[in-house]
Amino acid sequence: MIEIKALTKSFNGQKVLDGVDLTIAKGEILVVLGQSGTGKSVLLKHIIGLLKPDSGSVKLNGTDISQLTERELLAVRKKVGFLFQDGALYDFMTVFENVAFPLVEHTKLSVQQVTEKVIATLESLDLHEVGNKLPSELSGGMRKRVALARAIILDTDILLCDEPTSGLDPLRSRDISDVIYKISRKLGCSTVIASHDITNSFRIGDRLALLNDGKVAAMGSAEQFRKSEDHFVKEFMLR
Amino acid sequence: MERVGLFQKFHNMCCTIGEALVFFGEVLTSIVQGKIRWNEVRKQVYEQGAQTIIIVVLTSLAAGAVLAMQGYVSMSRFGAKEFVSHLVALSLVRELGPVFTALIFSGKAGAKIAAELGTMNVNEQITATRAMGVDPMEFFVVPRMLASFMVLPLLAVIFELVGMFGGYIVGIFQAHLPGSFYLSQTIRAIEFVDFFSGFIKVFFFAVIISWICCYEGFKTRGGSLGVGQHTTNAVAYSYILVIISNTFLTKFILTVWG
Repeated sequence: MIEIKALTKSFNGQKVLDGVDLTIAKGEILVVLGQSGTGKSVLLKHIIGLLKPDSGSVKLNGTDISQLTERELLAVRKKVGFLFQDGALYDFMTVFENVAFPLVEHTKLSVQQVTEKVIATLESLDLHEVGNKLPSELSGGMRKRVALARAIILDTDILLCDEPTSGLDPLRSRDISDVIYKISRKLGCSTVIASHDITNSFRIGDRLALLNDGKVAAMGSAEQFRKSEDHFVKEFMLR
Repeated sequence: MERVGLFQKFHNMCCTIGEALVFFGEVLTSIVQGKIRWNEVRKQVYEQGAQTIIIVVLTSLAAGAVLAMQGYVSMSRFGAKEFVSHLVALSLVRELGPVFTALIFSGKAGAKIAAELGTMNVNEQITATRAMGVDPMEFFVVPRMLASFMVLPLLAVIFELVGMFGGYIVGIFQAHLPGSFYLSQTIRAIEFVDFFSGFIKVFFFAVIISWICCYEGFKTRGGSLGVGQHTTNAVAYSYILVIISNTFLTKFILTVWG
C-alpha cells in the first residue's frame, strides 16, 4: 500500500508538486494523468525514494521512506519495480543478463534457478529467443517488455511505470498496457502508471488521478472521468 | 553586476570541489568497507589496460629513442656519450614514464570512463541501478577507480622498460656503445629511490585521473551534448592536474629523497 500525504517538491524555485495526496491500495492500478511537465515522473521518483520531498511524506507499507537514508532505501527498493520511460536497460549487458540482474544481486538462487526464472518471465511477456541479444538490437516495444521483465523479476509488491506507451504505435501501446494489467493482477501488486495516453489508461486503470499545477485536479474511475462536468477534465480528455 | 558574476562563479567552483570531495569520500568508504566487486574490477583492468597498452608501447619506444638521440648529441659535446644510458633510464623512471603514461591513460581510458558513465547517466541507467536497490557507486565507480590504481602503475613500468629498449637501440646503432655496457650502465643508473619516486607519482596520477573522470561522468546531464562536454572536461582537467601536481610532487620528492 502506498500513502502519499501533502507532497511538495520544487526545482529551482518552481513548484512541481504542490501538496499531492494519494493512496493506492494493494492490488490496485492507479494511472496518474497529466500534461507533459506536470510532475508525473517526479511523483513516481518520490514513491521509490529517488527524490526527496521538500515536505510531506511517502509511506510504503507503513514505512515513511522520505525519512530513510540512501542505504536504507536500497533495501526498500528491492520490492519495488520501476519501468523507466526508455527502459534504462544496461546497454553493455544482454537481455538475459539485464533481466537476471536483480536476481543475481538480491537472491541466493543458483545459476540454474536464475536461468529458469528469467526464461519463464521472458516467455510470459512473449519474448522468445531474445536472451542473447543486446538491448540496441531490439525494437522499442520489445525493449519496454524486457524492461518490464526486469522490473517484475523479484515478484514486486509495487510496480511503477513511467510513460509505458510513449514512443509506441497504437497497437504496441495497447499490447504493453495489457501486459502491465495482466502482470499487476497476477502479482497482486500496487501499480502506479504515469501516462498521458488516455485510451489505454481508461482501459486498465482502476482509478485515475489527473495532475494540474502540481495538485491532483481530479480523481476517480474511468467512468467518473467520462461523466465529469469539470472543465479541466473535459478539456484534457479532448486533447 | 560583474562582481556578482565572479562571486557566483567562485561559489559554483567551491560547490563543485566540495561535491567532488564528497564523491571521493564515498568511494573510499566503499573500498574501506570492502564493498568491492572483484569481477567488475577484473573486467575494468582488462578494458583499461588493453585499450591503452599499444599506445603506451609505441609512445615509449619513440620517447626512449628520441631521448637517447638527443642525449647522445648533447653528451658527445662533453665527451660523455657513455652516460646516455643514465640519462635515458633516469629520465624515464623519474619523469617521463609516470607523466607520459598518465597523459596517455587519461586521454584513452579516462575519456572512456567519463563517456561511459555519462551516457549511462543520461540514459537513466545509473538511476535504474539505484531503483533496483543497488548502489551505483559500488557497481560502477569503485571497480573503475580500483582498476585505474592497478593499471596505471603497470603501464608506467611497461612504458619505462620499452622506453629503455628504444634508448638501447639508439645507444647501440647510433652511439656505437656495446650492448652489455649499455645494459649494465642502465641497471647501475637506477636506484630504488628513483623507482620509488616514480611510483609515488604514478599512483597519485591514477587517483587524480580516475577520480576526475568518474566524477565528471557521474554528474553528466543534458543528453549527448552533456556527455561530450563532461568527457572533454574530464580529460582537460586530468591533463592540467597531472602536469601541475607533477611540479609539486617533483619538488617534494627531491626535497625529501634527493
